[in-house]
Order: sequence, then C-alpha cells, then structure tokens
Amino acid sequence: MKKLYVIAASLMVVPAISAFAANPNPAFKQRHQNFEAMGKAMKGIFDEFKKPSANLATIKANSAVLAQSAKKVGGHFPKGTGPGAGVKTEALPAIWEKPVEFKAATDRLVTATAGLQAAAATGDMVKIKAAAGTVGGSCKGCHDNFRKPKD
Amino acid sequence: MAAAKLVVWDAPVRIVHWSFVALLPALWWTAETRQMDLHFTLGLTMLGLVTFRLVWGVVGSGTARFSRFVAGPKAIARYLKSAPDNANPVVGHNPLGALSVVALLALLTAQVSLGLFAQDTDAVDSGPLNHLVSWDTATAASEAHGIVFNVLAALIILHVAAIVFYRIVRKNDLVTPMISGRRTFASPVAQPVLASWAKAAGVAAIAVAVAVWISFGVPPWGAKFPWDETAPAEDVPSVDSYM
Repeated sequence: MKKLYVIAASLMVVPAISAFAANPNPAFKQRHQNFEAMGKAMKGIFDEFKKPSANLATIKANSAVLAQSAKKVGGHFPKGTGPGAGVKTEALPAIWEKPVEFKAATDRLVTATAGLQAAAATGDMVKIKAAAGTVGGSCKGCHDNFRKPKD
Repeated sequence: MAAAKLVVWDAPVRIVHWSFVALLPALWWTAETRQMDLHFTLGLTMLGLVTFRLVWGVVGSGTARFSRFVAGPKAIARYLKSAPDNANPVVGHNPLGALSVVALLALLTAQVSLGLFAQDTDAVDSGPLNHLVSWDTATAASEAHGIVFNVLAALIILHVAAIVFYRIVRKNDLVTPMISGRRTFASPVAQPVLASWAKAAGVAAIAVAVAVWISFGVPPWGAKFPWDETAPAEDVPSVDSYM
C-alpha cells in the first residue's frame, strides 16, 4: 500500500515539475534575447568607433535596434520572474522592491537610445560618440543596481 | 673521455621559459578575479614572449631551433629504445620532449590568439581585435579561450610529471640546466651554436613591435593609429562606460 502511495504521489508531482520547467514565463527568454540584441548592437556601434573609418550605416542600423529594444525592457520584468522562479536569472530582487527607481532606470535607457538614434541621423561622429557614451552610462546604471554582479 | 660542461639553453630560452611559468598563473588569477586591464597587459606580454620564442625557434641558438629538435615518430621510437642508455646523451630537447615543446608552444599561441578576439558576456571587456569579428565569433573565441586553458593546464601537469620522472627514475636533473643553462656530459659532445645577444635584441624588438601593433588593433587596417584619432580623447566613450 505504502508503495502505491509513493507511486501515486510521484505521478502527481512529476507532471507538475515538468510543466514548471517546460513552461517558464516567456518573459525570461524574451528579455534575455532582447538584452543580447542590445549587447550586439552596442558592440556593433563601439566596433565602428575603433575601426579606421566608421561605417555610418552600421551605426544607424544598430542605433535603431537599440531604440526599439530599449522600449521593451520595462515590460520584460513581470512579477514572479525574479530569482527563485526556478529559472537561472541575473535579475536582482531590487527590480520588484524598488519599482520607482527601476522605472526611472528603464526610462533613462529609452531616452538615451532615442538620443543616440537622433545623433546617428545627423552623421556627426562627435555627437554620436557622446550619445553612445550616455547610452553606455544608462546600461551601467541599471546593471550596477538591478543585475547580479558578475563572478 | 673528459667530462664536458656545456651551455645547452641560451639565456633567451631560459628567460622566456621562466616568464611563462610566472605569467600563466598570473593570467589565470587575473581572469578569475576579473582584473581585466591587468589580464590584457599580461596577455600582451605573453603575446610578445610567444612571438619571440617562435622566431627564436627559426633563427636562435642551436638547441632553440625547431629544425633541430622536432622529430618524427621513427626518431621518437628510436629514442625510446635507446633512452636508458646514457652513452649517447641528447644535447637539447630529446625527440619525445620535443613533442611537449611543440604542443605547449602551439597551445600558448592558440590561447593568446583566441584571447585577442574574446569578450565577456556584455562585450565590454574585449580583446584588442574583438572589434574586427562578430558577436557570435567572439563568443565562440571566448569559450575556446576557456577550453584551451584547461588543455594547457593538463599538458603543463604532464610536463612537470615528466620532469619529476626524469629526476627520480632516470636520475636526470632537467631543472638546474633550465636555470643555469649549463649541463655536464660524461662523454664529449659538441657545444651547440649560441646565437649572439645582438640577434636576441633584434628578435626581441620584432616581438615587442608585433605585440604593441596588435594591442593597437592592427592599424592601419584594423584601427586608426593612436596618434590619428580624429576626436579629442575626452569625447570617446570608454568601454567601461557601458554595462
């Protein structure tokens, strides 16, 4: 009899665990992909600064990606997608504990990336570099406060 | 049959060898603790040393030259058969040890090359040639940089184990000659040709130039020369400013 209970219990628990692992909140994957796209776009822009002659078209295209992706960040952290949800994440609890500060940080990113896109449209490298630096500062600001420090 | 005390390892070979010994743990430690600026400086020093050793392997002293010690499987088999017989000592690397030298130098070359293109997860701390490759290539290079390190570490353990084996089983001290350069032979053997200091200085100059050039991002093709920056330095955001 005892054995039966164990089997029955296992039968109930196993699907629950697999359901949990198989269907994590899509926000985890969406935000990961979005941040990776932003990372790639930042690299795309900073790479041009280092090259012998910067390709303005590449900078413009990557600035557009950054501006678009930046708008999504604020919506990618619904409640229950922090650490402890069973999915590996570098998101810190501070995101949900300090919603006002987090909102300010994501707004800053949106403003900075829009500024970079506008600077890219002018084609003025001095302005572009300054605007890219502001975007970098907004990335860093959020990473310092809301992301698990790197090992 | 007078005993002969010969210089088997010239000073450049010894300096490069012991620099590797000092640099590798430091490189590992700076990577582990994420002191990336220091890691890059040490890595470029390593690049210079590896470059020096590769060129020295072509134009350097007799025992330093690849053409003298790199041997095929037949020579290795012959060496293994005659190895316990000390009547014909090998001056320089023996055919089996040569495998170790070639493998270690090849891995060091691969490791330092991968590091040039590598990046961390944010592509902030990036090697000096990272901007010339795509995100995906750089990520692959970074992963390979981690794997090659482990292979290198395994080979170094084997290298040290072989030295211990020679010391204990074969009663052959390999460490002292790598420090002093000198080794005593019971039977007369010819002193290997030693390259001049001038030549070593010339090869060192080439190695430094290569390392510095790569650290600048291989101008003019990969980057501007540092003195050709169009914008004032203050306006160029540093990589540290983002992420």
